[in-house]
Amino acid sequence: MSETSNEIELRGLCRRFREGEREQVVLDGIDLDVRRGETVALRGRSGSGKSTLLNLIGGIDAPDAGSVTVAKMELTGLSERERTLFRRKHIGFVYQSFNLVPTLNVADNVRLVLELNNVPAFQGSTRIDELLDAVGLADRMESYPDVLSGGEQQRVAIARALAHEPAVLLADEPTGNLDDATAEAVLGLLDKLVRDSSHTMLIATHSQHIALRCDRVLELHNGRLRETTSRPQ
Amino acid sequence: MIPATYRASFSYLLRHPWQLALSVIGIAVGVAVIVAVDLANASARKAFLLSMDTITGEATHQVIGGPSGVSENTYARLRVEYGVRAIAPVVEGMISVDGTSLTLLGVDLFAEQDIRSFTSQAQSADPAAPSDETLFSSFLITPGVVTTSARTAEQLGLAVGDTFDVVADGRSRQAELLATLASDASNNPDFLLVTDIATAQEWLGQAGWLSRIDVRVDDGNEAALDQLRAALPDGTKLLSAAGRTRSTVEMSKAFMTNLTAMSLLALLVGLFLIFNSVNFSVLQRRNLIGVLRALGLTRRQLLAMILIEAGVLGALAALLGVGLGIALGEHLLELVSRTINDLYFRVSVTSISVEPFSVVKGIVAGIGVALVAAAVPAIEATSYQPRLALTRSSLEHRARRALPTVTGIGVVIMAAAVLLIVVSGANLVAGLAAVFLLILGFALCVPLCVSFSSTLTAPLAQKLGGTIARMAVAGIASGLSRTGVAIVALAVAVAATIGVSVMVDSFRGSVSAWLDKTLQADVYTGALRGAMDPDLIDAIRNLEGVEDISTRKRAWVEDASGRTQLRVFDIPPEDFGGAELLDADPAEAWPAWQARDAVFISEPFAYQKSIGAGDSLTLPTDHGPREFAVAATFQSYDINASGVMMSRKTYARHYLDDTIDSLGLYLANGIEADDIVAQVENLSAGQQRLYVGSNANLQRESMRIFDRTFVITDVLYWLTLGVAFIGILSAMLALQLERAREFATLRALGMTPTQVGVMITAQTGIIGLLSGLASLPLGVVMAFVLIKVINRRAFGWQIDMSIAPSILAMSVAFAVGAALLAGLYPAYRAGQSQPAIAMREE
Amino acid sequence: MRHLLIGLAAFVGTTISLADEGEAPSQLADLLGAAADAGFARALEPREFVFPADHGPHPEFRNEWWYVTGNLDDEDGKRFGFELTIFRFALAPSVAESTSRWRTENVYISHLAITHVEDERFYVAQRYSRGALGLAGAQAAPFRVWIDDWSIAKRPDSDAWQLTASDGDFGIDVELRALQPPILNGIDGLSKKSAEPGNASYYYSITRLGTRGTIRIGEREYTVSGLSWLDREWSTSALAAEQVGWDWFALQLSDGSDLMFYSLRKKDGTQHAASAGTFLATNPNSSHLDADDVEITVLDTWRSPGGGAYPSKWRLAVPRFGLDLTVEPVIPDQELFTTVRYWEGAVDVDGTHDGAAISGRGYVELAGYAQ
Repeated sequence: MSETSNEIELRGLCRRFREGEREQVVLDGIDLDVRRGETVALRGRSGSGKSTLLNLIGGIDAPDAGSVTVAKMELTGLSERERTLFRRKHIGFVYQSFNLVPTLNVADNVRLVLELNNVPAFQGSTRIDELLDAVGLADRMESYPDVLSGGEQQRVAIARALAHEPAVLLADEPTGNLDDATAEAVLGLLDKLVRDSSHTMLIATHSQHIALRCDRVLELHNGRLRETTSRPQ
Repeated sequence: MIPATYRASFSYLLRHPWQLALSVIGIAVGVAVIVAVDLANASARKAFLLSMDTITGEATHQVIGGPSGVSENTYARLRVEYGVRAIAPVVEGMISVDGTSLTLLGVDLFAEQDIRSFTSQAQSADPAAPSDETLFSSFLITPGVVTTSARTAEQLGLAVGDTFDVVADGRSRQAELLATLASDASNNPDFLLVTDIATAQEWLGQAGWLSRIDVRVDDGNEAALDQLRAALPDGTKLLSAAGRTRSTVEMSKAFMTNLTAMSLLALLVGLFLIFNSVNFSVLQRRNLIGVLRALGLTRRQLLAMILIEAGVLGALAALLGVGLGIALGEHLLELVSRTINDLYFRVSVTSISVEPFSVVKGIVAGIGVALVAAAVPAIEATSYQPRLALTRSSLEHRARRALPTVTGIGVVIMAAAVLLIVVSGANLVAGLAAVFLLILGFALCVPLCVSFSSTLTAPLAQKLGGTIARMAVAGIASGLSRTGVAIVALAVAVAATIGVSVMVDSFRGSVSAWLDKTLQADVYTGALRGAMDPDLIDAIRNLEGVEDISTRKRAWVEDASGRTQLRVFDIPPEDFGGAELLDADPAEAWPAWQARDAVFISEPFAYQKSIGAGDSLTLPTDHGPREFAVAATFQSYDINASGVMMSRKTYARHYLDDTIDSLGLYLANGIEADDIVAQVENLSAGQQRLYVGSNANLQRESMRIFDRTFVITDVLYWLTLGVAFIGILSAMLALQLERAREFATLRALGMTPTQVGVMITAQTGIIGLLSGLASLPLGVVMAFVLIKVINRRAFGWQIDMSIAPSILAMSVAFAVGAALLAGLYPAYRAGQSQPAIAMREE
Repeated sequence: MRHLLIGLAAFVGTTISLADEGEAPSQLADLLGAAADAGFARALEPREFVFPADHGPHPEFRNEWWYVTGNLDDEDGKRFGFELTIFRFALAPSVAESTSRWRTENVYISHLAITHVEDERFYVAQRYSRGALGLAGAQAAPFRVWIDDWSIAKRPDSDAWQLTASDGDFGIDVELRALQPPILNGIDGLSKKSAEPGNASYYYSITRLGTRGTIRIGEREYTVSGLSWLDREWSTSALAAEQVGWDWFALQLSDGSDLMFYSLRKKDGTQHAASAGTFLATNPNSSHLDADDVEITVLDTWRSPGGGAYPSKWRLAVPRFGLDLTVEPVIPDQELFTTVRYWEGAVDVDGTHDGAAISGRGYVELAGYAQ
């Protein structure tokens, strides 16, 4: 594959946070290329900067130095509004605590993302049906998040994250709030859906188990990225 | 040392300064409104009583006469023939100086020391001031010499020795300020011009007559009273001074009661606000409460902690509120006293007097409601098994489950209100109580209505504005545990606005129609105060173009049962249509009224006395009490419920008074009213200052005064709405705080700050709309009760209810506007949510 | 604080303090003498007195008074003294025309005092009023001077007068019958109070009025009779600047003669040269007394509980008429705490007339002692 097929390109990425007088260097010159369709696990201890890295890739945060290119878009130098529009179109998020909109039912939670991307209503409905069918919640379309189990909620979140066919799926400890069995099921689903549609995915996780499912495993340590192992092709 | 648990709890508040500030402001404003209205009322009343007491002095009784007063010869006879001492003649009237109206008190210094000491107590002036004997001698012999309080002199911009113009009895007179009077706690000569009785008679055109004779009799000395009574001629009466003050105050009772009711309404909305504020601050710490429970705090300890905090917060805010209330009260007082001055009697209030009772009431309301508002969620929060987090959605579930019960209670309370109105007869206080029950009951029904309607409209919103609109609508019902109280406060405030606006508007319409009917002459003219100059009347009668005139005179007669206003008319038969007779055939009633001792009584008077056509009425006359036949009841919106309409002929038979205070002029065809107005103005120039106006002018002027009367009402409702506004603002801010993660997620999903802001704004707008719509039925019902129950019971007026759609539309628009305005900042804040927050774990 | 009514006192005949804030007491002289208004008539020349017209008011003058004092006994020999004075003071020569009958320049003040000798009690009451509306006034025909229900008025049934005045605790209601015609004091009724022209009054007396009627003290009524004395005086100015007050004696002697003398007192306590009097011997001719004709020696003084000291016993010698009299109050405390403080009381007289022992009764007024 050529250089240009990289979905994510990070060059010399630095991010520092000030906490009073003290400056903490969270990311200290990160270089990374992730190819389209690749799934990458991001490991590291708490506070090692996993979420920061995901935020930078998702356009939520901006780096102090270096560049972020996602889906061929150079994020550095984009305005907040431009980054929001970029995020809306190209990024899907899956969170540890699901973060469904409590006032919307399952279908509407997915529909929200489609509407934000101006998908026509009829197309959207079909897509929602497909997705919820795919995550096994076709019969819970009208349910509100508060009556769903954690696993169900996370499956809705996955459907929502994939609804608009984002270039990159960013997942932050997606199984952190789930029991092992549920986590396994959700993870399986996620893996399947991502691979079926050739999405690029970056998962921040502690879990060795998850890491094993990914194409690559990277470890964040002292602000630097280290490739630990590659999954055999 | 404050325990760590308390610090944990309180530092939460400190870290959310907006929340803390709104809680404090909420309580403070609620308390302020309560205190302000109460203080303004109490101060007006107190000032009035003090000025009455000052004028009454030590007098225990007063000798009063008919419409002209008491003959001064009666006074001389009492002293010289009967040797009665401790009596003092008084000639009293209203005058104005530069547009400020003042009470002119004409006294005989020689008789004063038994009755009033302050009239002869001049304040020590500078050494250059004239000597005592010059003061005394000037006071007695120099026409136009007056004294007043230093404060009033200052307000009028007068120094001792200054001469100034006084308008009395329509004529301009020159006065000189001789000295200022000492004032103390029991004597307040503010807005009082004290002068020699001769000057008072000259100015007020009361030569030969006294307004009254003040009498001081030792307590229980019935013999002295009997002796005095025996010495009094027919037509004069000896009445207790306290009783007279009481009946004067009584006149304004209905007004004061209504004002108090308005303060209670403000209190009610204030209570909602306090509840709202405190409730949130506890609800939001339910996680903290869970953690503390898990750490081993007992329920009791937690409750105590929360209640102490609420108490402290309530107390601090209440104190702030009292300060605010006093400041606000000053402004309200101006309005209250102006209305009382317009409608009832002269009350001169220069500053608010801080009544401990009012202050205590406000503080108790502030702390009390803060405690209750904290206790309700605190008991709930501590009733669960300890665990780290109680999700809000389950809280919402509980809130929603409670809705039917709450609504049921509301319906029961409203039913009780209706029952109360039916069984309470003519009792005003019961009527007002019913209004409050109605509001309370309704308030309890509002959350269900809102929840229901937002559920219903959510799909519609989806259709119109997509998922974002749906989220906005759905968020209302799902945030009901937060927004509910704010919605209720806004709905109640808007309903109250509708109720009062419809009432005022209906009233206005009725009054306007009535004026249109009552005012039949083409031009009206009259003395501003007192009687018209007879020569002037002749001159006006002889003006070219004036075909006919009617004369009128307003006279007060009084006996132990109180004061009655006589409206004496000499009107041509074509003017008979002017009074709408409600219970008699005009063809029979008018001749009886013209010729025989028959009178018409005003409808409020009839309501108050429960009499009507065919009954009889005893009135004090100059020849003693006489019975008059009531020929009919006429429609009237006069504030004085005691209107008796009497023909001039009847009046002349019973009262030694031929003065006229106003004229109605009927013009020949083709004569312009404005020409006659100008001619009358010319005639009166330099003679006696008259008001002159065409029919249209008079109607306009009457309506202007009408509108002015209701300014106070407007102010109170703006306050109420202000309170509701703060409620919405703090509710939305609280909600924004709680939903930070949700908004962050939405931002992360790609919603722009504008989109989030618009969504929140739409949400508050819809809250306003729903509150506004929900308030419509209550507003209309309130208007109905105010018109048909409260006004009828308070003033005896029959008002035709008319609901102007514009009022309803405006009110809903107002609710939306207020909510939108209140939502602006929370919307902005929500838009600024950092999407990164979504990543964080709770 | 100033009291407007205190101003009233300024018009009454004695020394008073005008304000209660410690300023130096003004002298009556300043007020009556110096402040006399140009618009008033003045007593410059002797005039013709006409009765009963001159019993009535003389409104063209500033001040005027009707002064009746008397010594009475009841049927049991209980002794009483009484004083009823009605003053008229004009605050100005005239007032503006007015529609109000209350507008007047005339102020009336009256003092009533009764001395109950046996009980050693002294009763005082005061009235004041404006001279308007019939509340107070004076008229010549029929004669009447009154304030409220106190009055001295010609009886409808005779030429006698009826004097009626009563307050809560006490009162008097007596008939006064003149036993003498009026006598003119000074020079034909012109009584000069100083060397300055116009500083004089018109002054007549009826020295003996047969008096009978009742005196009431509390619930008790005493039927009384005795002799009274009428003093009538009107003027526009009375005291010269250096005069501070006066002692006035009106004595009715047992041999039928009467003595009136006023001693005008200067600031230094000495007698002013304008002091004068009248001696009315048993023959109907009266004789004018100059200051030099009478020697007065104070034999005792009485301290008022309200402050100040009054002379309380005198020796009065009139060598020209062979009179040598000791005058002593029937009780010491006959001080009037009215708007104006002064002492006026019944006195007993003892002494000789041309060597023969005589006694007598009378009234003494002491003005300008208490401040």
